[in-house]
Amino acid sequence: MSSIEQRLAGEVFTRSLQFETRRHFLQQSAAGLGAAWLASQAGAVSASPSAGGLGAIAAKAKRVIFLHMIGAPSQLELFDYKPALHEVDGKDCPAEYLEGNRFAFIQGTPKMLGPRYPFQQYGDSGAWVSDRLPHFSKVVDKVCFVKSMQTDQFNHGPAQLMVHCGQSRVGYPSIGSWVTWGLGSESEDLPGFIVLLSGGRQPRVGKALWSSGFLPSVYQGVQCRSKGDPVLNVSNPSGVSRDERRLALDTLDRLNQMNYETFGDPETLTRMKQYELAFRMQTAVPDAMDISQETKETHEEYGTEPGKESFANNCLLARRLAERGVRFIQLFDWGWDSHGTNEGESLGKGLSKKCMQTDRPMTALLNDLERRGMLDDTLVVWSGEFGRTSMAENRGGQATRFHGRDHNPNAFTLWMAGGGIRPGMTYGATDELGYQIAESPVHLRDFHATMQHLLGIDHRKMVFPFQGLDQKLTGVKPARVVDEILL
Amino acid sequence: MIRLLTLIAVIGFSFGCVLGGKAPAEDDAISPPVDFNRDVRPIFNQHCVACHGGVKQAGGLSFVYADSVLAVIDPGSSEDSYLMERVLLPADEEEHMPPSDHGRSLNAAEIDILKRWIDGGGQWGKHWAFTQPQRAEPRSLESDPWSRTRIDPFVLDKMKQQGLAPQVDADPEEWLRRASLDLTGLPPTPERVDAFLADVRHNGEDAYRVATDDFLASPAFGERWASVWLDVIRYADSRGLGLDGRRTIWQFRDWVIRAFNQDMPYDQFTVRQLAGDLLPDRTLDDLLATACHRTTQTNEEGGTDDETFRTEAVMDRVNTTWQAWQGVSFGCVQCHSHPYDPIEHKEYYQFLAFFNNTADSDLGNDLPTLAVPVDHDQFDEAFQLDEQADQLWLNEWRRARELVKDDELWKPISDLELSTNNNTRVVAATVAGVAEYQTTGTVQTRTKVHINGTVDESIEQITALRFTGFPKNEQQALIDSEWGFIVSHLAAKLISQDGTETAIQFEQVISDEPDPLLQPNESLNPKSNHGFGPYSRIHHPRSGAFLANPPVQVKPGDRLDVEIAFNDVELGAFPLIAHRGRIAVSQSGGFTEWLTDAPRVAAREQIAALRRQRASIRSINTPILIERPQQFARPSRVFDRGNQTTKTDPVDPAIPAFLATPSVEPDASLTRLQMAEWLISPDNPLTARVAVNRFWAQLFGTGIVETQEDFGIAGAPPTHPRLLDDLAVRFRAEMGWSVKTLLRELVLSSTYRQSAEVDAKRYEIDPANRWLSRGPRGRLPAETIRDQALFIAGLLSEKQFGPPVHPPLPDGVWKPFQGGDKWATVDPNNPDRYRRTIYTYTKRSIPYPMMASFDAPSREFCSMRRLPSNTPTQALMTLNDATFVEASQALAGRMIAADDDVDQQLRYGFRLATCRQPQQAESVAIRELYDSILQKHDGEEPNQQAAMTAVASVLLNLDEVLTK
Repeated sequence: MSSIEQRLAGEVFTRSLQFETRRHFLQQSAAGLGAAWLASQAGAVSASPSAGGLGAIAAKAKRVIFLHMIGAPSQLELFDYKPALHEVDGKDCPAEYLEGNRFAFIQGTPKMLGPRYPFQQYGDSGAWVSDRLPHFSKVVDKVCFVKSMQTDQFNHGPAQLMVHCGQSRVGYPSIGSWVTWGLGSESEDLPGFIVLLSGGRQPRVGKALWSSGFLPSVYQGVQCRSKGDPVLNVSNPSGVSRDERRLALDTLDRLNQMNYETFGDPETLTRMKQYELAFRMQTAVPDAMDISQETKETHEEYGTEPGKESFANNCLLARRLAERGVRFIQLFDWGWDSHGTNEGESLGKGLSKKCMQTDRPMTALLNDLERRGMLDDTLVVWSGEFGRTSMAENRGGQATRFHGRDHNPNAFTLWMAGGGIRPGMTYGATDELGYQIAESPVHLRDFHATMQHLLGIDHRKMVFPFQGLDQKLTGVKPARVVDEILL
Repeated sequence: MIRLLTLIAVIGFSFGCVLGGKAPAEDDAISPPVDFNRDVRPIFNQHCVACHGGVKQAGGLSFVYADSVLAVIDPGSSEDSYLMERVLLPADEEEHMPPSDHGRSLNAAEIDILKRWIDGGGQWGKHWAFTQPQRAEPRSLESDPWSRTRIDPFVLDKMKQQGLAPQVDADPEEWLRRASLDLTGLPPTPERVDAFLADVRHNGEDAYRVATDDFLASPAFGERWASVWLDVIRYADSRGLGLDGRRTIWQFRDWVIRAFNQDMPYDQFTVRQLAGDLLPDRTLDDLLATACHRTTQTNEEGGTDDETFRTEAVMDRVNTTWQAWQGVSFGCVQCHSHPYDPIEHKEYYQFLAFFNNTADSDLGNDLPTLAVPVDHDQFDEAFQLDEQADQLWLNEWRRARELVKDDELWKPISDLELSTNNNTRVVAATVAGVAEYQTTGTVQTRTKVHINGTVDESIEQITALRFTGFPKNEQQALIDSEWGFIVSHLAAKLISQDGTETAIQFEQVISDEPDPLLQPNESLNPKSNHGFGPYSRIHHPRSGAFLANPPVQVKPGDRLDVEIAFNDVELGAFPLIAHRGRIAVSQSGGFTEWLTDAPRVAAREQIAALRRQRASIRSINTPILIERPQQFARPSRVFDRGNQTTKTDPVDPAIPAFLATPSVEPDASLTRLQMAEWLISPDNPLTARVAVNRFWAQLFGTGIVETQEDFGIAGAPPTHPRLLDDLAVRFRAEMGWSVKTLLRELVLSSTYRQSAEVDAKRYEIDPANRWLSRGPRGRLPAETIRDQALFIAGLLSEKQFGPPVHPPLPDGVWKPFQGGDKWATVDPNNPDRYRRTIYTYTKRSIPYPMMASFDAPSREFCSMRRLPSNTPTQALMTLNDATFVEASQALAGRMIAADDDVDQQLRYGFRLATCRQPQQAESVAIRELYDSILQKHDGEEPNQQAAMTAVASVLLNLDEVLTK
């Protein structure tokens, strides 16, 4: 710490904590929790709800790396092997699959569509994986597959929001915001919640997926980029050296200190502290984001190329950020919406290409975390926003040009690894044709409860009052921690 | 058992008294009377309503409703009250309330309160916010030396109760800067400060009044206060969900700015936005005002159901109306009765019925829209032209429609032979004696239905053809509408027995509503997908008539051959096709007269001329609220547990009973206008309170009710209840809902005039300044931070109104899902680069980074207050963002140009930024920075500019500058 910080730290925290603690104690206000992040960074007693107890659960995971395949990968071509679906390939869909169901694009009576790729069992656990993921199939024993995931939403925007905010509408906090609000960040000079994008497009609801919603905005995800400024405005303006910036900030600090002495507003001290943190971020963020520091072997393992925007680069970045104490690292990879209306969005070349881009890096990430002893306390999650139908898509009442499947909210597959998850197991199952859940359904809110549990949070207790309700990530319906998949 | 319970009750009761340490008689004498709202309700809320509330009513008991609680208390006798019996059981008894797994038992004090409340008659108190506010009788201003305005004695008395005393008055320049930023969103110039100081010296207090009036009269006033309202009404320039495409609705933003600048009374402001379309003497401005509720999100994602998202938007209108005007969280009632406030589930849907019949339906093209002139001066002219043309057309349409409706004039064709151009299958059926086609199985897009049928023998000529499309299931469609249809094109010919074909030339299509969303005559244009039909949902059978000119003679045995193209596809997935259709023909001469008689032709020519004249007024289509014709109304129903796919009881529009007044008894004919008028009626206890509290919070940092969004039982109680009520009553009755009058009084008060200085004692007692023993101080809103920087730098453009602008944006931010939505940054010599922030394009999925970083909401939903944060990304923004770098450079230029002497230059910059003179130590610090940077750039040119820019950047980043 610089001398300025040392001087500041004591006063800021004493005063703001007195204030915050008092507010909490009196339960007067929902606002003003901005000190949670601050407090944890200084190693001071946390003013976040964790101090008041989020439930006495021992945390198994310290951080989360969430790999979201935007568009919803087909579980039927990757993990959920359904030989019976081969048998009915090309036949009319049974009426019971259609009654009472609404689809995004399917019209009338569609045809069933058999799995497009061969499957095989791997590892001691005997997990089924298709031939699209040759690297990943070697690490299945580290992974727990949940094949009975369910959601309420069958359009991308609302469904992606369900995954990240537990609600189908925009305006609610995302998981990363909840978690950093609750636990703070472990990093001295990086944001606690970082978002990395690949695949060439943003998710359609954009920033709403890493929004802090009604939580203080300090908990919103910070998008980092592999190209240009890794964080907005992190570079000094051209012509301003770091020395000059230091001089300017020293002067700013002196002037602010004088103003504080006149007006006595503790927010002034907090602001002074934030300028110091910003100054540190200016070196810490580019350093964290600079993957050229990695070895040739690492680059080969991940398939990374410095300077590009790719899922591979983001996986490696995720490991680097995890090492630096970032609490929640969210990756979005666009391009998994295999409707079959064009080749890029087909179960053929389109899906194969996405598998090629992600298979090696996600495998490398698991191996790398394990080698570094970090997999035990890092929860890695891979998921889409829903599954895909066992029927072929027939948009506009006719067969699509390429093989494709419509959206299926009733069943999808997600996998998790590390952070207290039981490795080498499969939980839940779909019916013979992979369309509905046959056993042990896990709704997204159960997944949220489980993830919070692993982080040491009781999902029923981490609440924030908003619009007359004690809001929680898991919403108003009962949610269950899926104990069966925990170590 | 009963005896046992009673015995335990008595023991428990005595125990409570022992703990309380007072004999009952003494207690009665000393304790203040029990106040239901203050003392009893919090106990119910904390311990009971989780199980016995609005949502869960275990055992049929709810502590939200008075009549329910009467079942468990015996007013006047706590001993005979079942409630006390259960509460007083030992905690380990199964029957003990609250149950041990729910929480702790009631303590002695709580039991004592309940007992005294019941013994005193168990009076139920209406929650304070749901009762009428009363004008208070404050002490006179002369009764203390501090008070200047009517609000001050209220504040002073509360302050004293907390052991606090007022802070000294702020320096005049501190007040001037604060008032200027609060009222106009911009700081005063040094010249303005000098003039004000001189005025204070000469005219004393009057100077403050004059300055306040100047600020209120400034055009900048509306730009500052519109921002506050746009958060509440969730204004954005994009559609939200799905693709988040661009929506052209900025003229509503300008309407709000004008409304604030004109000091439009808040009652009119309310009625125009909620129901301007229904006002009997409406103007174009009133119609534009209704865009307020067209700022809801729409979903253009492929494969999404329009009706689902239309309903979501309507629910948002309901929730926003309650939040914005009533400070009541209504959203939770969509699934179940309110957990705390006395609002029943069904009442949500009764209120929703007020909004359920507007013509908009989540369409990607934002229909219905109004062509709003770009030049506000042309509003009246445009509106008169519209009115004239609409009225003339209505007359013409009615004449034709009378004929179309008269079944005597029509004969259905029969003996149908059907085919299509693709895989869609159609079959003939006879329903109620009339032949029709029906689709069956999977329906393809771009289907042409080919119908060949026999013309009734009585028909000798065809003057018109009528197509009627039906929902697949007529009964169910009234509850859950089906996808509608559009007749993209209709062609017909007569085929005689010898094979001769005679094409029928249609000249005009008469829809069953006078002003449908799409132009019906487009059905005659083979190149257009649009035309007549229910777009995009169908509840009722819908018919349109195609008028032939000239009439076509029918020979015996002729068959009519019709081809209807249904080419439109909604959201890439849903073919807009009539799944059931009937054709009839008419030989009435009335249609021919309608087409050819001189007065009819003249009327249509006049309409066309008026429309042409109107089209010459440059206008922009803006989404507005318009009511659907009554005969095609959407019936409203309760959604079971909020699920719109499970509809239950039908409902008529109604105001929830707890706030209803005699003028708004439930009735199918209650309108949105009556609902809006109910909001502003003197009987409504919330509207004025909520409004006053919002303006108060903007000036003082926190509302008198801190939870601006929740005045209900779960919200925070007011810190100054009498003051709030007094202001609310006076705002409505004495100030005539004038916002400027209200703000004038607030900024001139001694409360507002105080210095913001805080010492240890004040901070210890009142860290958040809820008791107002010092002046307000807080970080400026996002818009003001940017506007102020540009203003200080001399860059800010004064141009008002117009389409959204695109100031500099950091690289890599603009990656819209829809590639066509471009952010074309304007170059530095274009003043649009430096417009006030309210004019910046507001895209929901990509908020302007400056706004997001400084806590502005992204405008998806009503947001009643911004929670301020203090973060490193804010520091990076104001240090390094292009706008602030340009502002620093420009400010440096201004400073250098101001004087030849460096110290004077620095002093001038400091004054521009802070509105005050620097102190010695401040001047030294700045000079040292200037000199060190100058030294670093020694030998470079222009090193002076680099050094001054560094200083300017520090000035713009001063806590004092970012704070008011």
